[in-house]
Parts: sequence; C-alpha cells; structure tokens
Amino acid sequence: MAIDWMNNHLWGDDIPWLIGLREKGQRMFEQLGWPNAKTEAWKYSYFPQQILDNLMVCPDSDSCQCHENCHCHDKIKTPFAAYGIKFCNGRLHSEHVNLPEGVIVKPLVEAIYEGEVKKYINKSFDLDKFPFAALNTAFLENGMMLIVERGVKLSQPIFIHYQQHQKVHTFNNIRNIIVLEKGASATITEHYEGERGSSYFNNIVNEIYAHDESQLRHYIVNNESETAYHVALNAADLRANASYEAFVMQGECAFCRHESYIRLLQKGAAATVNGAYQLCNNGISDITTNIFHLASNTDSQQLVKGVADGRSKGVFQGKIHIAPNIKQSEGHQQHRALLLSDNAEIDAKPELEIFAEDVKCSHGNTCGDLDAEQLFYMQSRGISLDDAKRILIKAHVDEAVATISDTKVKNWLLNIITKKTP
Amino acid sequence: MEKILEINNLFAGTYDGTKEIIKGLNLTINSGEIHAIMGPNGAGKSTLAYLLAGKKDYAPTAGQIQFCGENLLTMKPEERANAGIFLSMQYPVAIPGVSTSNFLKHALNAKRKYQGLNELDAADFLKILRNTAKELGVSPEMLKREINVGFSGGEKKRLEVLQMKLLEPKLAVLDETDSGLDIDALRTVAQGVNDLHNQNNALLIITHHLDLLNLIKPDFVHIYADGHIIRSGSKELAIELEQNGYKSFLEA
Amino acid sequence: MTQKTELLDELEKQKYKYGFVTDIEADTVSVGLNEEIIRLISAKKNEPQWLLDWRLKAYRYWLSMTEPTWAKLSFEPINYQSLHYYAAPVQKVKPKSLDEVDKNLLETYNKLGIPLKEQEALAGVVAVDAVFDSVSVATTYRARLAEKGIIFCSISEAIKEHPDLVRKYLGTVVPYTDNFYACLNSAVFTDGSFVFIPKGVHCPMELSTYFRINAKNTGQFERTLIIAEDDSYVSYLEGCTAPQRDENQLHAAIVEIVVLNNAEVKYSTVQNWYPGDEYGNGGVYNFVTKRAACRGVNAKVSWTQVETGSAITWKYPSCILQGDNSVGEFYSVAITHHYQQADTGTKMIHLGKNTRSKIISKGISAGHSNQTYRGLVDISANADNARNFSQCDSLLIGTNCGSHTVPYVRNRNKSAILEHEATTSKISDEQLFYCKQRGIDEETAVGLIVNGFCKEVMQNLPMEFAIEAAKLINISLEGSVG
Repeated sequence: MAIDWMNNHLWGDDIPWLIGLREKGQRMFEQLGWPNAKTEAWKYSYFPQQILDNLMVCPDSDSCQCHENCHCHDKIKTPFAAYGIKFCNGRLHSEHVNLPEGVIVKPLVEAIYEGEVKKYINKSFDLDKFPFAALNTAFLENGMMLIVERGVKLSQPIFIHYQQHQKVHTFNNIRNIIVLEKGASATITEHYEGERGSSYFNNIVNEIYAHDESQLRHYIVNNESETAYHVALNAADLRANASYEAFVMQGECAFCRHESYIRLLQKGAAATVNGAYQLCNNGISDITTNIFHLASNTDSQQLVKGVADGRSKGVFQGKIHIAPNIKQSEGHQQHRALLLSDNAEIDAKPELEIFAEDVKCSHGNTCGDLDAEQLFYMQSRGISLDDAKRILIKAHVDEAVATISDTKVKNWLLNIITKKTP
Repeated sequence: MEKILEINNLFAGTYDGTKEIIKGLNLTINSGEIHAIMGPNGAGKSTLAYLLAGKKDYAPTAGQIQFCGENLLTMKPEERANAGIFLSMQYPVAIPGVSTSNFLKHALNAKRKYQGLNELDAADFLKILRNTAKELGVSPEMLKREINVGFSGGEKKRLEVLQMKLLEPKLAVLDETDSGLDIDALRTVAQGVNDLHNQNNALLIITHHLDLLNLIKPDFVHIYADGHIIRSGSKELAIELEQNGYKSFLEA
Repeated sequence: MTQKTELLDELEKQKYKYGFVTDIEADTVSVGLNEEIIRLISAKKNEPQWLLDWRLKAYRYWLSMTEPTWAKLSFEPINYQSLHYYAAPVQKVKPKSLDEVDKNLLETYNKLGIPLKEQEALAGVVAVDAVFDSVSVATTYRARLAEKGIIFCSISEAIKEHPDLVRKYLGTVVPYTDNFYACLNSAVFTDGSFVFIPKGVHCPMELSTYFRINAKNTGQFERTLIIAEDDSYVSYLEGCTAPQRDENQLHAAIVEIVVLNNAEVKYSTVQNWYPGDEYGNGGVYNFVTKRAACRGVNAKVSWTQVETGSAITWKYPSCILQGDNSVGEFYSVAITHHYQQADTGTKMIHLGKNTRSKIISKGISAGHSNQTYRGLVDISANADNARNFSQCDSLLIGTNCGSHTVPYVRNRNKSAILEHEATTSKISDEQLFYCKQRGIDEETAVGLIVNGFCKEVMQNLPMEFAIEAAKLINISLEGSVG
C-alpha cells in the first residue's frame, strides 16, 4: 500500500483535535481496506490501489506546478454570469473569491484554525461506510467552508471550477463544508475539469447542511481527463421543508464514482437527485445514491440516464430507505441505460428498504440498445445512420438534463455534452 | 311507514378535528320517500354521505344519527352496510386482480349471512347476477373484468346501480351519481334506481343538476349550505334554484 | 397366520417394493457430523461407492466454508454438531381421534377445505397409507407412468435402480461447491424425489410429493433431481397447504432440474412449514437451493411458489438459460407475518441466444416480519437478443414490518432488452372502505385485496393448488390489520 502516512506534511499538526481526527480517518481506512469485488457497495466498480503510487499532494499554491499558459493566478472566468471560485490542481485560490454580502467563503484551513468547522466535519454521514471519506479525513486540509446566511437568496449561481493541469499527477484531497442557514437559497455549480494527459486522483467529500426552509440547487459536472480517477461523496442533511435539487453529469474518465448520501431528517424535506453518464471509450462511471427518509411527509425523486459504448462500464446503485413509523412519504427512482457496444457493460442495483407502510415507493430500471425502428425512420427521411444515432443518444441524455431548473446551467451543460458527443 | 333516517343537530368535521364541515344539520327520511340535497361545491354534501357510510376521514363532534331506530354512529361501515345503507360513490375505486363477480358474491353473501340466510354457491350466485346485470344493460364481459379497473365513468355508475339492486338497501345514498354521464347513461341509471324504489325503502340523492331530478322525481328537496340545510321544499324548490342560483338562497 | 397378519405382511412387502416408506431401519445414530456418520448413513442406505465418495468430498469441502451473512436475515447461529443427521421417526403418542387434536390446527384444516379423512392422516391419528390406500393408488398411477417410461420414485430408490442416470446428472446443476447449505446437503442428504421423463413424453398427470410420503424426519435434507429429455413435459408439485410441523428446525434442500431440447418443466411449490408462534419462537429455517439448467434449445422452466411458512426462508430458484431460445419464468408470492423473515428471489442467467426471462414477485409483509426480494438478471456477453421483464411489488400491512427489494442487473450485451419495475405500497384505505361499504368485513376485504394483488402469480399454479393457496393466503394474514 503506497500511502506514505509518515511523510505527509499537512498543515495543522499543532491542533490536537485535527490530529485526532486524521488519525481516526487513517485507522478507519486501514480497517475498511481498499474496496474490491467482495465489498458489497463496490461490487460492480472498484479500481486498483496502485494508482496512488507516483501521485503527490500539490504543495502550496505559490509553487503550484502550473505551466506558463496556466493563468492560475488570474481571476476566474465563468461560462455564465456567476460568482466564481477557483481550485487549481486541488488547491483553493482564495485571493480571487468574490462573493456578495450574506455569503461567507473561507479556505478550510482557515475555518479549522478558527474552530467553527469542527461541528460539521463527518457529521452528515457514518465514517464506517465510506472508505474514501475515511481517507479524505486522514488527509484533511484542503477545501473550503461556504455559508449562505439566514434568509439570503443569491441572485446568481456560484461557480466552482476545479482545474487540473496537463501532466500534473496529484492526489487532490478536497473537503467542502456547505451550510445553508434558515431560509437561504443558492445554486452551486461544480465543474471538475482536467486537461488531457494528466493522471490524478480527486478524492472529494462535500458535506451539505440545509437548514429549515432552505433551497439548494447543486450541479456537478465531471469533465475529468480520460486517465483520471474521481471519487466523490456528497452527503446532505436536509431539515424541515428544505429542498435539494442535485444533478451530476459524468463524462469519460478512468474511474468516476459519484456517491450521494442524503438524509431527509424532518418533515417537508425533499430531494431530487438526477444524473446522466455518457461513456464512449474505456471509462467507468458509477452513480450511487442512498436516500434516507427519516421523517414523515418527505419526498425523493431520481432520474438517471446513461449511455455506455466502446469498452466502458456504467454502474447505477440506488437505495431508497424508509425508516419505521414514517407517514405520507414518497420515493421514486428511474434508471434507463443505452448499451451500445458488445464490449460495454451496464450494471444496476436499484434497492428499496422499506420499514413503514404509509408510503409510496417505486423504482424502474431498463437497459437496451437504440431503437431500430426509430433509427430506420430517420434514415428513411434522409438522415445518415451516424447522425440518427447521435440524435437519439442526445435525446436520451437530454431528458435527464432537462430536469435542471436553472436555465443558464442547463444550457451550458447541453453545450458541453454536444461538444463531447463523438 | 317507518322512520329510516333521523339526523339530529349533527356537527361533524375532519377526523383530526382541524376543520368543521357540518354545523347543526337536521334531516328526517321516512320509508317510501325520495329526498334530494342540492348545494354549492365544497360545502360538504359528500361529507354527509361519507359520514352516513362510516368513512373514517370524518368524525361527528355532536348530535345523533338514528338508522331504523338504531344508533348509526356506533356501527362499523360493514355493519351499516349490512343494516341497509348503500352509498353509490362519485369516484368508485378500482381493485386490481379482483373480478366484479367475485367481489359482488362476497358482498351479497355477507348480507345473507347477516340476515341468517345460507350463503349462495358460485353457480346460484352467477344466475342471479346475470339476470340483474341484463336488466341494467351490464354485459357479462364487464362482470369478468377486474372491478372498476379501466371502466369508463358510465360503466362505473352502472355497476354501482347493479350493486344496489343486488343488495336491496333500505337507504340508498347517491353521491353525484350524474357526474360524468351522458344522457343515455343517465336514463339507464335513473330507470334502475326508480325500479328499485318502493314503499319500504328510501333514496337520498346528492346532486347539482336538475336533469337527474327530472328523471328521479324527489318528494323533498333540501338546499344545503354553510354546513346545514338552509331551506327545504318540494320539487318546485329545485326549479327555483335552477332559475335563480344558490346566491339568492344564501342571501335570504 | 391369521388373515390380518397376512394382509399386513403383504402391505409391508409392497411398501418396501414401491419404496414409499423409507427403508431405513428404526434406530438412531448419535448427534453430530463427521465422516463416520456419513459412512454410516451411506452404508445403511446401501449406496454405491461413487456416491459415498461424492458425499465425503462434499463434507470435506464444507469444513472449509463459512456460513454466509450477507442476506438481510438474523438468526441464532446453528450448532451443526448438535443436529441429528440420521434419526428414526420419533415414536410419538398418537392421538386416538380428531377430538384429541389441537383445536387451532383443526380449524386451520377446515378453513383450507381439507376433507376429514385427510385431516386424520395429517394429525397422525391414522397412518397416511391406510387413509389413501396408497398401495392401490400407487399401483394405479405408477402403472400408468411406467407405461410411458416415466420414472417417479424416491431418490434413494433411483440410486439403486437407475444409478447411471443419477450419476450422470446429480450435482451438475448445483455442484457441492455452490454454497454452504448446498454443500451440507450434498454430504448428508437422506431422500427426496427423482423424476425422469424420457424423450417425447408428455407426463399425463401432475406429479406431487404428496404421494411420496416419507417419514417426517427425511424432510430435513431433501434432494430432488428432475430430468426432462428432449421434447418432454412435466408439471411437478411440491408441498401442501396444510401447516407442517417438524421436529427438525433446519431444512437445507436442493432441487436440480435438467431440461433438454424443446422440453418443459413446471415446478410449483406451496410451502407452509411451521413459522414459529406469534412471539417469534420456534419455527423452521428453510434454506433451499433450487436451480434449473435449460441445457437444450427451446428449453423452458417455470418456477411458481407460494411461501407462507417457515420462520426463516432463504431461497432463490434460478434458471441457467444456456440453450438458445430457452425461457425461464419465476412467479412468487411470499407472505410473512409475526416475526418471520424471508430473503428470497431468483437468478436468471442468460448465456445462450434469444433467451427470455420473466419475473413476477409479490411480497406481503405484516406483523413484525421482514421480507427481502433479491434477484439477479445476468446477461453474458454472448447472450444476443436476451429479454427480461421483472415486476416486483410489495404490500406492507401494519407499521412494524419491513419490505425490501434488491434487484441486481448485469448487462454485457447490447442487444439485450431489460425492463424492471418495482413498487411498494400499503393496502389503500379507499379500497378497504369500498369493500366495507358493500358489507364485507375487514378480514375478508384484506383477503380479497391481497388475492387480487397476487392474481398474476396465482394463475400460474395448477388448479387444485391455486384454490388451496388462495385460502392459505387468507389464513396467513389473519389478524394482520387493525
């Protein structure tokens, strides 16, 4: 095992609780072990731990290993009107964060130093279920804390750009704590973008705390390099009448696992957790969700659409859990996949765990090739077979993207997909 | 002549007590009579129907209801049904996998058991069912189908009337039976109801429209608003209502 | 000799001849499991060497295995060394008439519509043979079957009379390495059914285990092998609706089915093993491995099950769709009440081309029970044009039970079309009210609605079973609502 626990010079080795926390993370990671086919939650998708060899943690941003064209230290340019936050090779560039009144953003290191973030770390999920979150805890240092204050409703989205440069091979361990206070409302878009040729491992943990009546729209675009590894845990605690609308777009990458762990803690909480994946070469995309209905009158919806071509693999695991004595709650889930080549694979495990009777739950899962009738119809109207396929594939994925309520983000995303479709 | 239904100063609302719907309702129905209740939407007419049938969404808070001399409010829904109350529902629910004839056999046998009669076996029951169905224009096909699954509005209402004929209730409550029916279906339903009516039973029709009351002629018409009956009269009252609308009565 | 003794002698000989009563002598071997005991069992049954060797291989392999824990079941660990693997039927004091039998048991028999004479047999008042006159019954139908070349007998007898057939197929569908309980069964199985349908034969009657009644104790490690040669057909019924008590708590059975070209096997089960009392004490643990290999082209297997008993059920009747155009179907109704637990489902493995599978599972949980549907649809890379349709619906009754669905899907072939839907809900208040307003009491209403919910599965059962099963469903849900 190539993790060099001893020689990591992480900041904060004079803060006792932090040291204790990191040690706990390390012990838990060693106890759980690197996931393999026998690990139930990873039975369809796991990747070799050798990838950690030859990776390093990016040193301070001053000497961030960028090339001359990097413009790392320039202000961020967002694809649509938004408040921008920039990460470069795994490090937050806090000097360029420009946010309005009512939103506080600070580097995680600063929040740790001030002590306030302590009450949030590892509180939105159980550490013993997530080996990479344990790893993330062991290396806790980089990331940010973002608070949207009471009643503040942001007029523009927040756009976070995680950029990875070419030929920079780093292990980026990022922890973001996102808090929406009572009645707050915000849209956060995360764009993970890696240049071709870089081989890195993004180990992300987002902990989201949505207080009463708050509203968060959270869009994640994984636009990583084809040789990158990306494992993310999005844990969200939703309180009374809080709403969480999430969407993840998974592109081609060596291994990309996006795992959501959502707890509907109080009455009226609602979550929509949609996504799409589109793979054409050798990539593995894994969308795993765990939604826990822990109070009455809660609602969850999920629609995931996927395309796997070439030698790729698409994995969908969706669990809806309804706790005992819950009333009037609903959980619905749909996964629809297109399998386009004989060397590609789709694995699915939609799961319902229901302990209460006054609920309505359903899930649906379909998998197949493009519809031959539809293809022929288009050809008979003069459209080439390749174009016809492209049109159908796009329509398939667009159905999921169309559920994004923020128009700016939706259009931007549709654009990216068009560019990336071969 | 028998006093079939007597409602005294009834107050009732939603089961959790958050909303009061019926506020001091009085009504007496004797055998042989046809009563009609008309009133604006959302006033609570259907609530009265459900209360009589014993649906647990609604609960009485004060007052009494006597059915053929017995305290109705202490009886379970199936006991009320066996005692002779039939509610023809506005939106009959579908029960997948259960055929219409199977359902009706259970209903009829439950009644027979209550009356101390022997239960009918499948063959005897089917004979009775087919004859009754024929009279009402209900096809044998419909009897084999799963009850109310994929039935049109008219088919559902015709089935409600079929059930009424089989169970021969003392008091049939028709809740907006005319909604969703074309004129032919309405005629068939009205014919069936009229055939059923005799000096020993009674009808309580809840409706908005005069059309049905032209086919099933009521002896008494009541206007219901604000949680109780604000005016009672004969059929002429219905015609007056049709011409002048509810507002004129509410302002009075 | 008196006439009576003569007659008894005759009966005794005939019983032995037809193998209807176990031919094991009435003595008991000590508890525990080791090679000695296996050799003893094998010797007592006069088994050939190859079978003993096979048993021992399985036993040695079993020693290296660990009990699986991934199912959503919790139970006291079983002490395998404290079980009897070979025991004579327990000599209980038999009741002299039905009056001495537990009233509740009699009530259940009545509700199920079981005729009085049959009740006497089930309660142990009289020997089954006498009631059914099984000798003459046996003679009649066995003759009919024999005419067509059909073999239907106990597996112990088949090992003696048709060793080549048994040896050819035993363990080829469920190898002893398959899982912990299958391995144990392979080492210690005592009896079960053997069915062989030769080429082109359509079995004229439903074969039922009821006619092959053995002493109670051999139900513990039952092993069944069914072989359907080219162009043949058979419908096999296992179990019965009457509640079955058994001194043995652990049942680890294996059913292997081999289906060759154009053949079809229909396997129906109604399982009502003692589920334990309403406080969760006692009850049978039913751990069964059932698998059908559709080896031939156009082979078809259909599993239909109604599971209402057992304290713990762990079974996944599966189909290996090897032959091109082969078809696998699984229809299941599982009802759990009180403290029962069930983790059940099916595996459809698509290997050949143009294979089809259909899964309809209806689960009903009540009381404090927990039920999981666990399914696997696996499409291999070469399984062109595979088709699967799955529908898993759960109904929850009451606030203390749980119902879970875990359908795994692996698809490695782009021409496959897979569809899966699952819903979970409770019995709607609207439907209950509608029934009550028509005079139907709550318990009858629940029975009607639940039977309607299960209809799609029930219509696949052979008729007599279907009628009994419908009644069984009503009884199983008694006291669940309100």
